[in-house]
Amino acid sequence: MFQNSKPATPLTTRDPDDFVSTGVSGQKTISDLVYEARELSQELPDGQYAINLNTNRYAYLRAFCASLFRGHITLMPPNRQPETLGQLEDRYPGSYRIGEKETRQAPSNRSAKIHSDQIPWIKEDRIVAIAFTSGSTGEPSPIQKHWHTLRVGAETNRAAVLGDFKENKYLVSTVPSQHMWGFETSVLLPLKARVTVSDSNPLYPQDIADALDRRAEPRLLVSSPLHLRALMSSGVEVPGITRILTATAPLSREDARKLEDHFQTEVLDAFGCSESGVIATRRTSREREWKLSPPFSLEATEQGTLITASHLAEKVMLPDRVELVDDRTFHWIGRNHDMVNIAGKRGSLADLNHRLVNIEGVEDGVIFQPEDSRRLAAMVVAPTLTSADILTALRSQIDPAFVPRPVYQVSHLPRQETGKLSQRAIMELYHSVRIEISERSGKNPKSEEPKE
Amino acid sequence: MQAQSDQESELAKLIVETLNLEDTEPAEIEPDEPLFGEGLGLDSIDALELALAISQKYEVQLRAEDEKVQHAFGTLRSLNTFIQNHSAEA
Repeated sequence: MFQNSKPATPLTTRDPDDFVSTGVSGQKTISDLVYEARELSQELPDGQYAINLNTNRYAYLRAFCASLFRGHITLMPPNRQPETLGQLEDRYPGSYRIGEKETRQAPSNRSAKIHSDQIPWIKEDRIVAIAFTSGSTGEPSPIQKHWHTLRVGAETNRAAVLGDFKENKYLVSTVPSQHMWGFETSVLLPLKARVTVSDSNPLYPQDIADALDRRAEPRLLVSSPLHLRALMSSGVEVPGITRILTATAPLSREDARKLEDHFQTEVLDAFGCSESGVIATRRTSREREWKLSPPFSLEATEQGTLITASHLAEKVMLPDRVELVDDRTFHWIGRNHDMVNIAGKRGSLADLNHRLVNIEGVEDGVIFQPEDSRRLAAMVVAPTLTSADILTALRSQIDPAFVPRPVYQVSHLPRQETGKLSQRAIMELYHSVRIEISERSGKNPKSEEPKE
Repeated sequence: MQAQSDQESELAKLIVETLNLEDTEPAEIEPDEPLFGEGLGLDSIDALELALAISQKYEVQLRAEDEKVQHAFGTLRSLNTFIQNHSAEA
């Protein structure tokens, strides 16, 4: 199915004595990883699909390798909501959860030296992971990842994001391993590049600083604009960072410059989607054009822009609108209208609205993103429910990032005769509801339904 | 509903203002109810914004990898106790 691909390639081409990870799990070499993953692969339940929920990055990597060795497929749940996990289990009989409770990995004493010729080889045309994107029907769409796709993607990223570095690097990431950007950088990259990954999963600025401080090698910080802005404004002192890699949401040129000044470093922005992985990079402080990585090419069609690459199983429709400058560069114009991006997670408004109006007791409703907010908001017609009831129903089935806030109760939505609800009408109603609430300040707006 | 102490009301006000919880009054936050998940339904974006506001107002830096903080962030009361103990240390 893939042109010019070899039948199988080794899990890693790194030296068995190289450090792959460090942190609360202890210092782990490639040899330790392969040994422990081989042991773990024997202990995995019978089944076919591993839902890898580990938050410790070494534990995630080890469980991913164990599933590879055992011939299982790693499922990458879009979030950890009980309903999402339950749906995955229903859809993939023979799936099991791994690392759900385990938040810390105790250092293991068991180990034996693994030599280069004992590193397992993986068939290139094997499906080894399945990622998911939010579709418009309420059912997440699966994206099958062959080992060939992941392996070539990791080698491409090594050149695109590390390129000129020759020495060993220490990588700290704030992006979960289950997210495609986290998966590519903290799971796959350490298998293909001289990178030692911190096994922590830091959120708060002080956590990030602590994790960076643990090693003196050239430091890379993999993150998102949200975490980086928080780190910058916290005033927390961080040790020198050689390069910051960011993705998941647009970073403004102004923020990129501020970050470079503040941390005395360079900020490299990565562009991609779950379907393709990272396809392009740019130094946002001084470049407007995105540079495509060599295996990828773009093709403008009437429906949108198609991504092609010989290591992708099929062409991918880019979920963004872009303008091609030439064969190798493009400008980003914006997201497709239905899509929202909250905290690095891409969601379909059609999907969210579908779920909202399917809640029992909701007569009509709309979820939207106000221009002045990083959050989504909702306006709902549901005389028998409280806002809290609606939120509870939504929380069980959607990612917390997409839970609307606030939820306003209204008597009806300004739909046109065709049933269409224009963005303009939504925003007018939203503003009038907010004005009414602020005029009643001092009272509790939740107990009195705001009318438009 | 349990009464909030003065310090807790101040912290509740900071939470509501920082996170734009337009439909929640500070006084409505139950001191012993969870802030995340079920209770107020806060998530990691909120945690990050709240941590910043707390570091600016109280000069306390939160660490999630410190298990005490995971616990501290549980409720209004435990968060307030954590802040008071740590700002006293400073």
